Amino acid sequence: MRRLLGSLLLLAAAHLGAAPRQEPPQARLQLRQVAPGVYVHLGQHKDFEDGYDGDIANIGFVVGRDAVAVVDTGGSYAVGAALKAALRAVTSLPVRYVIDTHGHPDHVFGNAAFADANDAGAGPPPQFIGHAGLPAMLAARGDSYLHQLKQQLGAAAGRSALIAPTRTVQDRLTLDLGGRKLELRAWPKAHTNSDLTVFDPETRTLWSGDLLFIERTPSLDGDAEGWLAAMDALDRLPAALTIPGHGPVTRDKGAALARQRAYLTALLRDVRAGIRQGADMTSTMATAAAGERTRWQLFDAVNRRNVNFLYPVLEWE
Amino acid sequence: MNTRPTPSPQLRLLSGLAALAMLAGPEPASAQAPEASWPALQQAWFSGKTLEPAPFIHLSAPTRAPSGDQVPFAFSIDHPMTAARYIKTVSVFVDGNPVPLTAAFHFTPQSGKAEIATRIRLESDSPVHVVAESNDGRLYVNSVIVKASGGCSGPAVGEDAAARAAAGRMKLALDDPFKRGELNRATLLVRHPMNTGMQRDPATHGFRPAYFIDKVSVTYNGKPVLTADTAIGVSENPSIRFGFVADQPGALQVLVHDNEGGSFRQAMDVGG
Repeated sequence: MRRLLGSLLLLAAAHLGAAPRQEPPQARLQLRQVAPGVYVHLGQHKDFEDGYDGDIANIGFVVGRDAVAVVDTGGSYAVGAALKAALRAVTSLPVRYVIDTHGHPDHVFGNAAFADANDAGAGPPPQFIGHAGLPAMLAARGDSYLHQLKQQLGAAAGRSALIAPTRTVQDRLTLDLGGRKLELRAWPKAHTNSDLTVFDPETRTLWSGDLLFIERTPSLDGDAEGWLAAMDALDRLPAALTIPGHGPVTRDKGAALARQRAYLTALLRDVRAGIRQGADMTSTMATAAAGERTRWQLFDAVNRRNVNFLYPVLEWE
Repeated sequence: MNTRPTPSPQLRLLSGLAALAMLAGPEPASAQAPEASWPALQQAWFSGKTLEPAPFIHLSAPTRAPSGDQVPFAFSIDHPMTAARYIKTVSVFVDGNPVPLTAAFHFTPQSGKAEIATRIRLESDSPVHVVAESNDGRLYVNSVIVKASGGCSGPAVGEDAAARAAAGRMKLALDDPFKRGELNRATLLVRHPMNTGMQRDPATHGFRPAYFIDKVSVTYNGKPVLTADTAIGVSENPSIRFGFVADQPGALQVLVHDNEGGSFRQAMDVGG
């Protein structure tokens, strides 16, 4: 997968010219052009509670004739700043849009680094685009997300801040980058209540956000049935290339969705069975979806959280 | 960079002595609850009284909980439950929470066993202290350390209007077939947002007012088997498993009261 398109690998220094004495870990960011004008940085599979560095989600951008759209900015100001530096090594066009695929902290805390992305004469500040449910999600959780980030990263949380969208998507929205249009689609509650996908018809590239996990255990923070329904719809989308929220870029979206469907289906089935058989939440955490354990990374931590989320909901069925 | 140990999946039951040793010894580096909070709580709630370490208070909680919102927590006390000698009150304190007293459960001999399984909130890593008082006034204590965070100020999961509309819906069921004259266990689920007063309201950018169940009363054929004074440390949509002894078929009745004056009833016939 790593050699998937065997294309450009860019290393960008965030602090050009500065003596690299104490370079922060995210100062250099690996970027790959996976389709013409489509650049991705792949996050690493680390858990929030073990070695988290803010750089676990896939982030990147799409370059049009007149402007650039960024899709997710990473889990800290530093990651966002490194992405911005990498972007500026590719193009000096204005960043017209910063799109949040959903409100989770590993995807949006880098937004703050893009507020000044166009200050060097490229144009007005970017518009921040998100799902219609995103402002409420960030308002409800912002304090606690920032508190957690400071606990996780300490001083490296730096200038990380949440930026509410300046423009929201209720259903669909088309963004024009000049000679290139991006089709945004807002989904009913699935992975979260703020999932947004981005499709680039020119290269038939789909940014699925966290509606698709590859390798990393899918984490549930919305509605499992809604997620499965969204996956059915994504399966029918004519994408040649899919950039998941986590894991490698794939040309075989169908197989990746099937893998994820198998996990979510097993999770739902086993939590329901546990409840029906009178197994409590703790014992269900240890047994639910156990057959999927060897197929995913970070399985124990994420699967337990999923059961913890799902069990109290399914008890009411 | 905050590096913490990898979560351990297994439950840990700490004996009273082990728990005391942990409290007396140096705190683990990542335990964030202030060490001094328990002595202060003990002074506030049990001034001048002796708390006897009690390994027969069995505690069950995850060493590291996946979420601070819904932390499974259970106690079961090996102690006679006869008219002459029984545990009458068990108080659960989460030392590090903004409101440490999470619930006080009142039992009777007809409870059969002083035991509860429920779900609680943890704002930060914290010891959880359980203090049991017997009918002759003796006080027993045990504790366990749980790592979890964000449970009190963290986001309310549901939509507030929908949660309020559904408040008071209940499910009540026996865990196993009815056993006459023996300990039976029942699980009560109550729909209620249990708003802590520390959660943001996305609509106003202020805080949602505290809105929580403050009393749960359970009777069997009119005689109390469990009365619980509950507070904001009990998780949203409370789940409470309790025991009762029934000599004959009858009616298990539940009355739930919240801090806004709402009251809700549920009943089921058992053994018929």
